[in-house]
Amino acid sequence: MPEPRPNTDPGELDGGRSDDGAGPEDGAVAGTGFGGSMDLAADEGRTLERDPEHDGAEPAGRPRSLWSDAWRDLRRNPVFVVSALLILFLVLISVWPTLLTSGDPLDCDLAKAQQGSQPGHPFGFNAQGCDVYTRTVYGARTSVTVGVCATLGVALLGSVLGGLAGFFSGIWDALLSRLTDVFFAIPVVLGGLVLLSVVTSNTVWPVIGFMVLLGWPQISRIARGSVITARQHDYVQAARALGASSPRMLLRHIAPNAVAPVIVVATIALGTYIALEATLSFLGVGLRPPTVSWGIDISSASPYIRNAPHMLLWPAGALAITVLAFIMLGDAVRDALDPKLR
Amino acid sequence: MGRYVIRRLLQMIPVFVGATLLIFLMVNVMGDPIAGLCGERACDPATAARLKAEFGLDQPVWKQYLTYMGNVLTGDFGTAFNGQKVTELMATAFPVTIRLTLVAIVFEIVIGIVLGVVTGMRRGRPVDTGVLVATLVVISVPTFVTGLLLQLLLGVKWGWINPSVSSDATFGELIVPGLVLASVSLAYVTRLTRTSIAENRRSDYVRTAVAKGLPRRRVVSRHLLRNSLIPVVTFIGTDVGALMGGAIVTERIFNIHGVGYQLYQGILRQNTQTVVGFVTVLVLVFLAANLIVDLLYAVLDPRIRYA
Amino acid sequence: MLLEVRDLRVEFTTREGVAKAVNGVSYEVAEGETLAVLGESGSGKSVTAQAIMGILDVPPGRITGGEILFQGRDLLRLKEEERRGIRGAEMAMIFQDALSSLNPVLTVGDQLGEMFVVHRGMSKKDARARAVELMDRVRIPAAAQRVRDYPHQFSGGMRQRIMIAMALALRPALIIADEPTTALDVTVQAQVMDLLAELQREYRMGLILITHDLGVVADVADRIAVMYAGRIVETAPVHDLYKAPAHPYTRGLLDSIPRLDHKGRELYAIKGLPPSLTAVPPGCPFHPRCPMAQDVCRTDVPPLYAVEPGGAAGLATGEGRGSACHFWRDCLEGTGSR
Repeated sequence: MPEPRPNTDPGELDGGRSDDGAGPEDGAVAGTGFGGSMDLAADEGRTLERDPEHDGAEPAGRPRSLWSDAWRDLRRNPVFVVSALLILFLVLISVWPTLLTSGDPLDCDLAKAQQGSQPGHPFGFNAQGCDVYTRTVYGARTSVTVGVCATLGVALLGSVLGGLAGFFSGIWDALLSRLTDVFFAIPVVLGGLVLLSVVTSNTVWPVIGFMVLLGWPQISRIARGSVITARQHDYVQAARALGASSPRMLLRHIAPNAVAPVIVVATIALGTYIALEATLSFLGVGLRPPTVSWGIDISSASPYIRNAPHMLLWPAGALAITVLAFIMLGDAVRDALDPKLR
Repeated sequence: MGRYVIRRLLQMIPVFVGATLLIFLMVNVMGDPIAGLCGERACDPATAARLKAEFGLDQPVWKQYLTYMGNVLTGDFGTAFNGQKVTELMATAFPVTIRLTLVAIVFEIVIGIVLGVVTGMRRGRPVDTGVLVATLVVISVPTFVTGLLLQLLLGVKWGWINPSVSSDATFGELIVPGLVLASVSLAYVTRLTRTSIAENRRSDYVRTAVAKGLPRRRVVSRHLLRNSLIPVVTFIGTDVGALMGGAIVTERIFNIHGVGYQLYQGILRQNTQTVVGFVTVLVLVFLAANLIVDLLYAVLDPRIRYA
Repeated sequence: MLLEVRDLRVEFTTREGVAKAVNGVSYEVAEGETLAVLGESGSGKSVTAQAIMGILDVPPGRITGGEILFQGRDLLRLKEEERRGIRGAEMAMIFQDALSSLNPVLTVGDQLGEMFVVHRGMSKKDARARAVELMDRVRIPAAAQRVRDYPHQFSGGMRQRIMIAMALALRPALIIADEPTTALDVTVQAQVMDLLAELQREYRMGLILITHDLGVVADVADRIAVMYAGRIVETAPVHDLYKAPAHPYTRGLLDSIPRLDHKGRELYAIKGLPPSLTAVPPGCPFHPRCPMAQDVCRTDVPPLYAVEPGGAAGLATGEGRGSACHFWRDCLEGTGSR
């Protein structure tokens, strides 16, 4: 009797088989030194490394791809829509801050220092008498620039190194694994303090450079893992047996399947990089004035938190919403790409 | 088992050397180690040369590193900017940070796991959605903002706590800072537990336990929890290192004189020996925590066998 | 009668809509009898069993009608606490995949002994002794030592023996075995099946054997119920059914078994795929795949006709046979076209 393909019997779909003997990670260290939110990202990626092919719940019919499926899910997910719109808005005001404000963030009047909300200046003034609303709007540009550039750098460097290590394995893989271990062992805020405390430039580039330097191992580990998983797929083995060349296999068969976890992790990481920039600026080693940054503003407002909390709350709120938007976006994309959780 | 531990210890050596070397290079190459030694003014060239010779700074960097590490291995971590021994600084700083970390871990375990179990068992219900949104918010708001806000509300506005922690840093004083330090990890533990519980709840062995006619309480506590908490315990274990290294922000906000405070001072004054010394110990703690977690894994999950 | 399932209906809420996984199923199991429930995945055979055991996932599952009489009591009317007392003690279940169905982090001794601790209030020590006895009973070598081992340390066949031991622990009156040998190597399958049949005879238990493997059925079952798309399409004593199926689906299943005397001939396969349970075709659910389908099959749902000899009276006593095919006579005589 032919064993029919899986069908819509919820009773028989319930076999959430636990992967047996999932051992501890192969390396000297398991966690990340980035703290919780980074671990969140890393774990979201790890769940995706498992085979995302078995949807099962689809009767015989047109084949659906993981991506078109995910996109259909995402459009109906309010979390995704809200966070995507928010991010769109943030990108818009980063490029054209004048859409929302006609003021100049560096145009300050000490006489108005610490004053609260008043007509034309809804968020009040900061300790130097600058308009908090204008500075909050302009702060988006810095945060988005740092977040996007750092993520692009990390994703590129990390996925190339991790992907190659996972694909070619052997000595390079072992070397890279040890190297990522070294980076994981250094607490990230600490690394930032040490490296950036001596930098005198007041552009965003040293901060971005630092994030790429300390952030790539995280993506590389994810990319390595998903490449190894993808490499074990039957169709990849088949392609290899048929004599496909290495670059062709990597680009055509493995990369498309390994890229999903990297995208999810990178999206969530983008949010955490923005938070990290603010944290470093708060500690006095990130960006420096006259760069307009939420972190700097929060930091400079913190001594006055008793008397003029508005100076802190507005940029802090903007920062939190921005980070939240990216993390929610990543979360929604992860859910959409992970059929197991449906 | 013994062989596994030895292999892991050997694997740790390059990581340890790499991490400390990296920090050593960062501090040495990027900064000017003697700049902080002459007070506010710049050192005059003669003094600078003398100091350099005295600290062995005229040697090549790799030799300096070897000398330093050699000293560290004999227990000599050097002197801090104010002439105090780094080991003395550690003796005062580490107990404080360890207490802070303990408080944070307790929060992670108690609140994180309870919330995770509750939401995992009620997936999709309002309570689940509420907690899930809350964890996202906590993860999104940077720790220093959470810390400042809690300090403002609890310390300044309502006067429940002292906004800054005294030099004793008792457990009582560290409750709120510990919560702040734990916040992000706490949210993560909640999510991890939730996912794990929800996944295992649909597993075959839980179905078997129900089919055996076990009371629901026993199914949950004996079969479901035991399996679901394996990844959670792993995470909390590895988080110990991250928490101690990440305490810089929390310690700064609440003015706690722990490891983060000393590191911050050391970095500001570019005191190589303080910074590298503390980082060395932190890296060791991190590596030890990882090893313990791996061994714990074998205890919790009998399927893991170390060869 | 030990167990009577009457007009059971179970629905699942899925993303594609409501799936009627079990759509009016009735069957009976007498003391000491073996009923084989045969069907492809998605036919509702496992869901029926889960409803009997009371381990259906609710939600998404929902029992929307029918009754399950076990030793005269309607299980669906009992309180959860009463049902829990029956589960494991009076009826027990053996699952397909013993590796995932046993708790990976508890020793098999703990998992076996748990039955005695919970249902009989025994001490842990006594329970452990009983666990060793049970393991001996299902012929696991060196039971006294292996009682401290974890499930992953056993071979597939041994693990399934432990599942059987666990089900037998409290001498239940009814055992439901859901594909008990499917996950095993062919050589081990027979051993495990023989053991199960032997113990069932010895303890005079009712056995519901859920399978998609006709080969397993012939040796051990007394009766067969064939399920398709949430319905029973044919029920008959096992030899009658093998001799002359009264439903084209059953006939298709029988014809698709490879046979030595048909060597060289092309193996028959039922065309098409089982329907999605959210979109069961109108009329007879099998008609799109049926070689005998007529117009009436596309519009009228066939009831379970009493098949001669035996007729309605035979069907009512559980001795006769029934077929949910408008043309069961043609099928029985083998005159239907293929």
